[in-house]
Amino acid sequence: MPASMTHPHSHPQPGSDSRSDARPEARPEVAVRAPSALPRGGPASAYPIIDAIKRGETPTPRIHDSVRAEPVILAVNNFQLWYGQSKALHGITMPVAKGKVTALIGPSGCGKSTLLRSVNRLNDLIEGVRVEGSIDLNGNSVYARGVDVIDLRKRLGMVFQKPNPFPMSIFENVVYALRISGERNKKALADACEKALRQAALWDEVKDRLKASAMGLSGGQQQRLCIARAIVSEPEVLLLDEPCSALDPIATLRIEELIHEISSRYTVLIVTHNMQQAARVSDYTAFMYLGRLVEYGRTADLFQVPQLRETEDYVTGRFG
Amino acid sequence: MASARFETRRLTSDAMFGVCAACAAVIVTLLLLVSGYLVFIGAGAINLSFFTDVPTGDVAQPGGMRHAIEGTLILLALAAAIGVPLGVASGVYLSEYSHEWLFASPMRFIADVLTGVPSIVVGILGYELVVVPVSRWTSNSVSFSGYAGAAALAFIMIPIVARTTEEMLRLVPKTYREGSLALGASKAQTVLRVVLPSAFGSISTGIMLAIARVAGETAPLLFTALGSRLLTRDPSEPFPSLTLQIYTYATGPYPEQKNLAWAGILVLLAILFVVNLLIRVVASRHAATRMGKS
Repeated sequence: MPASMTHPHSHPQPGSDSRSDARPEARPEVAVRAPSALPRGGPASAYPIIDAIKRGETPTPRIHDSVRAEPVILAVNNFQLWYGQSKALHGITMPVAKGKVTALIGPSGCGKSTLLRSVNRLNDLIEGVRVEGSIDLNGNSVYARGVDVIDLRKRLGMVFQKPNPFPMSIFENVVYALRISGERNKKALADACEKALRQAALWDEVKDRLKASAMGLSGGQQQRLCIARAIVSEPEVLLLDEPCSALDPIATLRIEELIHEISSRYTVLIVTHNMQQAARVSDYTAFMYLGRLVEYGRTADLFQVPQLRETEDYVTGRFG
Repeated sequence: MASARFETRRLTSDAMFGVCAACAAVIVTLLLLVSGYLVFIGAGAINLSFFTDVPTGDVAQPGGMRHAIEGTLILLALAAAIGVPLGVASGVYLSEYSHEWLFASPMRFIADVLTGVPSIVVGILGYELVVVPVSRWTSNSVSFSGYAGAAALAFIMIPIVARTTEEMLRLVPKTYREGSLALGASKAQTVLRVVLPSAFGSISTGIMLAIARVAGETAPLLFTALGSRLLTRDPSEPFPSLTLQIYTYATGPYPEQKNLAWAGILVLLAILFVVNLLIRVVASRHAATRMGKS
């Protein structure tokens, strides 16, 4: 990967663009393609699907056969979401593969975070949100009438953009999900805490100060703590909402390695605005645009041999 | 001319500085005069018996104010016991639940108005709502009591505590609430385990400010606690308080009692001073723990 390459969204956060400089050797599996000899830009008509979306249509997304071959843990079916009058998600249909890392990419405002927050119904907290269609988690409907949202959220873990440890001790942060479920057994709590912290690659750094306030940790440690907190109750799907956007390059690297490690145990759905990050950490990638799914396939395929010109030009930084 | 204009600007600036400094000096001098005068007069009447003795009934040897000091502390504790839970709960409602339910903005408006209600009005309210009904119920002639006094003080505290709690809870980042809910916590668990504890420092500051505010109140107690010359710890009886005792002695004719009143004022000020100091300590500790965040 050429060190000078930058992806098209120049976010000011340190964790995004400066990465490629800090770490010249990317994980070899997938490399983001450099812009080829094709002319930059091009006429608007070069992107018929984008044009259709801009006209308000919802074209059928290009979902690769490789995705359909995987066992499904999360099935999104013709899902629509409105914030008041404005529609944020248009007929999203996408299966999420069990035990894999799936990345959602797309320009700002494309609805990738909204889709992620629909899975654990965190959008319910926003006034005026209305949904149609369905999401099924391991065959259980997420939006059906009478679903216990609290039980649903216990089956999912979530990590947010900015590290948000609670103002309590490291230990209490990690075991929070167990405490609220009524676990009182000290041995069980301590074991679960150690296991989660080990999985989050934080145990060695904090094992001597579990009683200390989580606020004293660095940003990267706080985010790993949040991951430990999210996996302590062994969620069926781990939702990551741009988990590195507030972190420096080295902390970002550690989180990415961590995602790679925990992907052997958990299904991960990650939103990222950093395409190189998507290329590095994910098995499958979905490209979204203005609330529509555009193309969805194996990460290697999406970045190397996308089926749509729109996707190709987006992942190579020529459009978006 | 530019230099003339510069001269004028400099003069205006100096004049403004002079006016502000003079005002500040006047205020500080007045404060120092008042407290100096209090110490000068009051300190003479303070001795051990002031803290250990109760009124004797002999105007030449009036005894001490132990009953009033204890009474004030008990009244404050009772008022806080009534006012703090109600106030904090109302604040939680306003901040966390009101958008799902009704009454939020009328409640907020009423709380703001109540904060400004003259305390004598609260005294009459306490008389009408507590003293009179209890008298009827127990068929006593008039049931002035420490409970009635504490209720009146609590009534002053509630809107202050409620509004402070609301404001402080609003400052708790939304990400805490989302983080907790995303882990499968109920709303009640989120409020009790994450939101309230993270605002604990600032809410306790608000509570102590409210206590400091009511510690110096006399009017609400006039028709409720009434005051007493006896050392009593039974709040169902007419109850002593420093402010009431000061009021009685200061408006009486006997110089020895007037001296005691001065001493009482000094002690009251000392209590307020300590409470305010506590507020500062709690506030700065809280600020220090917050610092670790970023």
